[in-house]
Amino acid sequence: MKKELFANPDLCTGCNRCTLACSANKEGVFQPSKARMRVTNFPLRGFSVPNICFQCPKANCLEVCPTDAMFRGADGVVRLNRDLCSGCGACVTACPYGMVEQDAKGIPYKCDLCDGDPACAKECHSEALVHTTGDAALFQLKAAQMKTRHNSGTPLEKRHKVAEALKRNSRG
Amino acid sequence: MNLYMGKMLMVDLSAESVTTEPLRAEWLREYWGAWGLALRYYTDAVSPEIDPLAPENVVVIMTAPLCGTLVPLASRMCLVSKSPHTGTIFESNVGGSFGPELKYAGYDGIIIKGRASAPVFLKIDNDRVSLESAEHMTGQGIFETEKLMEAAIGAHGAKTLAIGPAAENMITYSMIGSESYRQFGRGGTGALFGSKNLKGIVCRGTGAVRVADMSRFLERTDHYTKNDLLCDDNLWAKTDGTPILVEVTNEMGIHPTRNYTKGFNGRKEQLNSDAIQAAKLGNRACASCPMACGKFTRVNSAEIEGPEYETLCLGGSNCDIHDLEAVIRFNRLCDDLGLDTMTCGSTISLAMEMTENGVHNFNLRFGQVDEYLKVVYEIATLSTERGRDLAKGAKHLAAKYGAEELSMEVKGLEMPAYEPRGNFGMGIAYATSERGACHLRAFPIFATDPHDIDALVSDVVDAQNANSIKWSLGFCDFWGTVNTSIEADLMSAGLGEAVSAEELDRAGERIWTLSRLFNLAAGFTAADDTLPKKIMERPLEGGRHEGRVFSRADLARAMQSYYELRDWSAKGIPSSRKLAALGLETTTL
Repeated sequence: MKKELFANPDLCTGCNRCTLACSANKEGVFQPSKARMRVTNFPLRGFSVPNICFQCPKANCLEVCPTDAMFRGADGVVRLNRDLCSGCGACVTACPYGMVEQDAKGIPYKCDLCDGDPACAKECHSEALVHTTGDAALFQLKAAQMKTRHNSGTPLEKRHKVAEALKRNSRG
Repeated sequence: MNLYMGKMLMVDLSAESVTTEPLRAEWLREYWGAWGLALRYYTDAVSPEIDPLAPENVVVIMTAPLCGTLVPLASRMCLVSKSPHTGTIFESNVGGSFGPELKYAGYDGIIIKGRASAPVFLKIDNDRVSLESAEHMTGQGIFETEKLMEAAIGAHGAKTLAIGPAAENMITYSMIGSESYRQFGRGGTGALFGSKNLKGIVCRGTGAVRVADMSRFLERTDHYTKNDLLCDDNLWAKTDGTPILVEVTNEMGIHPTRNYTKGFNGRKEQLNSDAIQAAKLGNRACASCPMACGKFTRVNSAEIEGPEYETLCLGGSNCDIHDLEAVIRFNRLCDDLGLDTMTCGSTISLAMEMTENGVHNFNLRFGQVDEYLKVVYEIATLSTERGRDLAKGAKHLAAKYGAEELSMEVKGLEMPAYEPRGNFGMGIAYATSERGACHLRAFPIFATDPHDIDALVSDVVDAQNANSIKWSLGFCDFWGTVNTSIEADLMSAGLGEAVSAEELDRAGERIWTLSRLFNLAAGFTAADDTLPKKIMERPLEGGRHEGRVFSRADLARAMQSYYELRDWSAKGIPSSRKLAALGLETTTL
């Protein structure tokens, strides 16, 4: 069975080792702002949400791409072919979870699950991020997280809204 | 630059100016970062006689070289200045994520001087840095202030340092809060901001921290994380966090109870780690920490990250309060209004003892919850006579009413929650710390013989030197097994230059000694390296060490041994030989 990345906010401690590991792996530096997954923190309520790319079965970022630069690999992961990308940013706007962003040159970047061995999950010591084939509980968790979709705002604003909804469910 | 950002932010509030300066590269291999580097900048900027609350005083906030990387428990940030509470040189450090964020914004540290003509906050949005009006935040608690500053920068997740009303009122044990429940806790850091009309700092950084060779750096980091950090000696932090110390110190007979009258609390079960676990909603971590020692708890409608051990004891047992909900409420009030829970708890317990002894009636009694909670607000806002009295802290409160024998502090800093009569090592640590009674300079509670003075003096000196460099590299206390060999290896991998354990050892001693020189120049003498009267005269009640005192004669012996081991004179002055060995012979203060 295919492995997927799952996030469990109730186990997240807000340490951000995932974003450090991701940026080290993808950018060769420690730069959480460039991480392909992010953490939204609500320190006052003691709650944190790992924002991840769900590799949506019906992926808006892929569907809106005018040049077919976004494509789905054989492993089900949504990836970017930089050679075909025009830098239009339509994918950034389309992602309802705020998980596609553009670099300084306008080239989008997103999670590609590190080709099957995500650096973020390996660094997660609280099991808030797991890369696994999943069970009913995890799929239920994922479905609940995917329910809140946002069509407007910056990626940061969308991630925050997604996280707010999860915080309300958990902390009240 | 590797590990460092190479840039300092210079804030002059009187001139309303913000500029940048290159990091003083010539100091890095001697002072490294955080505590050491901040201390070097501070001693360079001010004279030791300075009034801490004068506009001319300077506050240095400094990150550490490994901060913002995957090296775990190494992202703490230090603040150095002269304390308005003690008049000593003072270092305080904070966890959380402000330090990493400041580096991602492009700065190793911030140096603040002057006084703004009206309340302001500092807004750091990468290279766009400005002073903004904080008029609308005046009087607000820390939680609301953080929210307002985050809104001002317009980005969720911006990191904050903020003060509350206690600091605006310049209470000498007010603190600076960060991300709601983390603090530059002790010594009146908040009053320093308050005296400068600085309500807070908000920071957003999107840049990067670089290392010389990422794959080697990650390999070394992973190695020490798995084979040293995540091992039995340290895992208590992950499973229990600091509340585990409630059982440990009671078992040892060093758990302060009823204003340091007893060393054992018979009702400890209501505030121990099991009680915290029963109230826990989740684990919380500082940046890049896999331990997550913070336990987020809720009892009825009261929630908080914590309470930590010091608060459970000094705001609990030492006030004879045994109700976890009450301690959570006390903790949250302090965190929001901006008071150090340790000094606040200790001062309240003193007032309770003074009331019960008939010295003065503050209407505060051991175990009485309502007034204990009410008085916290009165202190922070200076709204009642007793609030204004308690806002002075233990030393001055006791002096005002002639009850010096009940005041539990050293150099004006209230003692942490480890009883020195039951462990002389903690007494020696308190007497010799540069900032007054402190448990973060040496922590010899696990010594084989807690009353073997010579062995304990040696343990204390070693720990003070080791912690001086440990805090300078931004490490957290709770990586208990980290040492200068590990630190040197990680620094070498990150910098791409060979760093030796020996030079870090020497830097630790240098930093400790420079702090001593500052205090001597500020007017402190060997006579200040002492302990509270109660510890020296009144036998401890209850617990394993019932009947013990830490006598004046024992203390004199300990201090003689301490000065000799440090190569300081009988008056506690570092010898010129020692200064030369540390490269401090030409450092002027």
